[in-house]
Amino acid sequence: MFHKILIANRGEIALRILRTCRDMGIRTVVAHSTVDAGSRAVTLADESICIGPPEARQSYLNIPSIISAAAITDCEAIHPGYGLLSENTTFAEVCRACGITFIGPSPEAIRLMGDKAQAREMAKAAGAPVVPGSQGPLDGVDEAQALADEVGYPVIVKAAGGGGGRGMRIVRERDALARAYATCQSESQAAFGSSELYLEKFVEEARHVEVQVLGDKNGIRVHLGERDCSIQRRHQKLIEESPAPAISRETRAGLCKAALAVANAVNYVSAGTVEFLVDKGGRFYFIEMNTRIQVEHPITELVTGLDLVREQIRIAAGEPLGYRQDAVSFTGHAIECRVNAEDPEHFVPSPGRVTAWVPPGGPGIRVDSHMMPGYVVPPYYDSLIAKIIAHGRDRAEAVARMQRALAETVVEGVKTTIPFHLKLLTDPIFLAGEFALPRLDQNP
Amino acid sequence: MTAEQVVKLAVRHHLAEIEIEQGGTRIRVVREHAPVAAAPAPRNELPTPRGPQPVTAEAAGVPSNLVTVEAPMVGTFYRAPGPDAAPFVSEGDVLEEGQVLCIIEAMKLMNEIEAKVAGRIVKVLVENAQPVEYGQPLFLVEPRH
Repeated sequence: MFHKILIANRGEIALRILRTCRDMGIRTVVAHSTVDAGSRAVTLADESICIGPPEARQSYLNIPSIISAAAITDCEAIHPGYGLLSENTTFAEVCRACGITFIGPSPEAIRLMGDKAQAREMAKAAGAPVVPGSQGPLDGVDEAQALADEVGYPVIVKAAGGGGGRGMRIVRERDALARAYATCQSESQAAFGSSELYLEKFVEEARHVEVQVLGDKNGIRVHLGERDCSIQRRHQKLIEESPAPAISRETRAGLCKAALAVANAVNYVSAGTVEFLVDKGGRFYFIEMNTRIQVEHPITELVTGLDLVREQIRIAAGEPLGYRQDAVSFTGHAIECRVNAEDPEHFVPSPGRVTAWVPPGGPGIRVDSHMMPGYVVPPYYDSLIAKIIAHGRDRAEAVARMQRALAETVVEGVKTTIPFHLKLLTDPIFLAGEFALPRLDQNP
Repeated sequence: MTAEQVVKLAVRHHLAEIEIEQGGTRIRVVREHAPVAAAPAPRNELPTPRGPQPVTAEAAGVPSNLVTVEAPMVGTFYRAPGPDAAPFVSEGDVLEEGQVLCIIEAMKLMNEIEAKVAGRIVKVLVENAQPVEYGQPLFLVEPRH
């Protein structure tokens, strides 16, 4: 096992990793920017080292500085957390070349899954269904029509350079395709300077369901069930839960089997997440694989009783997983709300000084947060300030506990997403578990 | 917290005197020409990181005419170009702008750190072959006017 690990991240996840290291008796070095010098993780770490100015590009994304920090503090391994360098192939390769263990998958797996087209082909070959559609840019409206006939309506026409709802059209019948194609093409030309278009089957009332997998260096792989992350705003997840509500036992089994097939196909080592779209009929389609620990991993920890960061560290150190699928059990229901320093109505960041912070507690509540009274939310990084996670015997109990927890939480000085969460948690559609992803052509 | 950070705090908040104790190291900064102390610094601006404590009671009470040369990167500090070579600079040496002061090794790359001002080396704050972090004070220089 490692004696000392460098944590190359910040905020709540740096603290989260540090806590597991402490549980495992591993010394920690927190690499931080100047603005994070007084953070909780830095304060609690065995050692800390300043790696650069506030701008992430010059500190948390600065590969030579981070490697240098690990070298001069004699760290054997680096935990990259999520975001930042966690899915950077070059960083994983440099770690390997410098004889430092990257706590995560191989650079080869990161590269393969980072190339969305390649990942899609690989998943298809492994037997995981993908959203049927065009392989590359369409040649013209005739090709679009032929393809739409093949995959079946409704279809979505998308600009190659598009995103966030722009340059997209949902087409429900054959007669409407030619006009939608032309509109989309001119919109795309105007907005992105390219008129290249793609077409794929439109998944109606899709839900975002992802499966957590773990693999060790001996090729033993298990899944830890699924998470529903359909509650999103501008493609940002806001609430996640496990198990996913309102999907059948067959769909769940199919998802977990497909996720393991994808992980096996890339010989995946460490913790990873295979994401799918699930339609209302329970059909599912592979979207991508995330080759890192996810923000929402605690809900999986609460229902499985496993510590995913501990599993990542053990696997990176070469330890066998030590259990098979039949030893993984699931208890109750867990929900996570992401508390962001954001205006809950307009979802614009709200950096500033936190003047008061009283986290919730009581049965079934876990809070992962780096906040403290007087903490200044810096404008340089993402706005996540706390994750409130509720666990109950069933969904109703988890929801009730989450409502109670959010109601007693005090954050003053910055605006947060808590009012949004409180409203959503009493919404009949949410309570019935019948929500879906915001449609891509809607402006959420 | 480094001596440099304490000095910055004192300047930013117009404090005549500030004293911080952590991990057995006490840093006291007294500013000769400072205005009478204003309100105490807000709590969050008094972080108490542990970790490499390069600091240095000597740096406390830095006379205001001196300039601190800080490490522009994290790495290993070398005073000389090789194990048997003479140091680039020693205390009392007169400096020209652009003169090499030291080397910081980061990922096997030897980065020469140059003087941004002409002047005289008053103090070398770091031992040879020691790890340094970003922003750590390395030298005190008396600039030439």
